[in-house]
Amino acid sequence: MAFRRSSTYITPLIFFLIVISFFPIALSPDQDFLRSLAPGVIWIAALLSSLLAIETIFSEDFRDGTLDEFFISNDPSFVLVFAKVLCHWLVTGFPILLASLISSLILYLPVSSLLPMICSLILGTFFMSLLGAIGAALSLGKSAILSAIIVLPFSIPTLLMGTAAVSSAIDYQDYSGFLLIMGAMLAIGVPGLCLLTVEAILLNYE
Amino acid sequence: MLPKLKVSNLSCSRADNQLFDDLNFEVHPGQNIEIIGSNGSGKTTLLRVLLGLIDIGDGEMEWLDNENNYNNFRSIDCFYQGHSLGIKNLLSAQENLRLSSYSFGVSEEKILSSLNRVGINNHSSFASEMSVGQKKRISIARWLLKDFGIYFIDEPFSALDDQASSLIVEIIEELNAKGASFVITGHRPSEITSNQITLDHEV
Repeated sequence: MAFRRSSTYITPLIFFLIVISFFPIALSPDQDFLRSLAPGVIWIAALLSSLLAIETIFSEDFRDGTLDEFFISNDPSFVLVFAKVLCHWLVTGFPILLASLISSLILYLPVSSLLPMICSLILGTFFMSLLGAIGAALSLGKSAILSAIIVLPFSIPTLLMGTAAVSSAIDYQDYSGFLLIMGAMLAIGVPGLCLLTVEAILLNYE
Repeated sequence: MLPKLKVSNLSCSRADNQLFDDLNFEVHPGQNIEIIGSNGSGKTTLLRVLLGLIDIGDGEMEWLDNENNYNNFRSIDCFYQGHSLGIKNLLSAQENLRLSSYSFGVSEEKILSSLNRVGINNHSSFASEMSVGQKKRISIARWLLKDFGIYFIDEPFSALDDQASSLIVEIIEELNAKGASFVITGHRPSEITSNQITLDHEV
């Protein structure tokens, strides 16, 4: 259904590419300079882009009443929340992954760093979608910007690990440790954050 | 026959307002309960409390299970329709019913016959192109997808013409005959045969 509303996936994608393209224009087109900035720029753009559509995870279902229906069905609410987050990531996170390949050309990122960049973005943007789900649940029926404000401070560890993994790859250093930490965060985040999101949604019925 | 749901001494308050106090009733197979009250009297809250969407304040709810034992958790298939109808504008009438039945799965024939039963013949039209009354009819078609034990419906007769209201009464009677029970809310008593609970909390 999200694919029928093109703004859901096009807006974060366009936003990501515009932010990336601003850096060579505003700072310097120098290759070495842009390469040194690339990991941070790509990760900040990815985080902000993934937050753009975060409010839409539950808001429409809450407004039109389908969330009530899901919550009283016999299926575990945890599974529903996970399915919603997965769909959200496929619609917003996955296009950002593809766009990051284009951005690597704009920022002169070496080919050797593409694999860690993609791996860290997969782990990181999915974790951001999980975090975003809590923000979206807590801010249901309120301002869309509120969910982003709730989520952004908690995105700092993801930002640090993701940036460090890509920077290490650029410097030909071992980056696997950073990816493992991100994987561990995701492994804990899937059950933990989904359960917290269920509780956060139920607060809206009180 | 044993009641499907027994509610005893149920109370609920929000902030400093006591919405309802010491409610006692039973939902028997094929029987209906109407919760009557003005705006803000706690009708929707009561439905949500009964369904477990809101924590129970004081009191007890006991649900009948398949082995004729009573449990404090919901052991009966229930259908809930709130003020919002649960209809997606981006989906067609047929797709909306398919989404509603995702967890129990019904045949396409059942979906189409349910839509035809409520007078929706343009199955592939998007809900966004339909009137509020037609959307309400789609939501009524969802009642027919499966034999639910208890239907909890918030103000089913609002925003409907006489023909649609008669259709609802007809469908409720049909489902009652199969043993289904309805707990519905409204501002005034409807035409269906029911036991009535009046919430007289002053807003």
